[in-house]
Amino acid sequence: MATIQTLHILNKSPDHPRAARCLEMVSEDDGLLLTGGGVLFLATGHLSGPGKVFALSPDIDARGLGEFKGSNAELVDFARMVELSLEANRVISW
Amino acid sequence: MSTLIMIDQAPYGAWTGREALDMAFSLAAFDQPASLFFTGAGVNWLRQNQEAGGIGQKSVEKNLSAAPIFGIEAILADRAACETYGLDENSLIEGVTLVDADAALLNDYDHTAFAG
Repeated sequence: MATIQTLHILNKSPDHPRAARCLEMVSEDDGLLLTGGGVLFLATGHLSGPGKVFALSPDIDARGLGEFKGSNAELVDFARMVELSLEANRVISW
Repeated sequence: MSTLIMIDQAPYGAWTGREALDMAFSLAAFDQPASLFFTGAGVNWLRQNQEAGGIGQKSVEKNLSAAPIFGIEAILADRAACETYGLDENSLIEGVTLVDADAALLNDYDHTAFAG
């Protein structure tokens, strides 16, 4: 897999103003990692921007969002989340 | 005096929602009429099959199931917000009434307070 330029870690729900700001900043070579309330984006379906999308599986399960696991996000566990943050050239925690 | 507690924040990210729930349950336990209203990202409290063990928490779905025992009068959910978050009758927990969030709704309560 190509190196991730910037990994955007978004733990804010779609209602949070910072979530919109984050999505505006994601570029083609970036990764977007949804954690916490950020995984609710899988339910709203408002994720059409560039960049590869990852979502933290335990946070999806906590919110009962299992039916949305088939959407376009790659599911990751805590260990993979750490790997991603190390692989990326830089990380922005929103 | 009837009280409406509004929860407009997603579950698990902060403790304010659970604190608001405790407040509502306390009111009800002391025979003060209290209802809960979920709007915005707050409607995600009401989804079935929450398994929060993986993030070291208890599911808020279990918390909410105690509402009738404490005597909470109604659990209301903003219909439009439910649509936004892909929630319908099949995915909502039992005992939730869908309503339109407008001024008329708030007129029914003497006191309305937000969580957080």
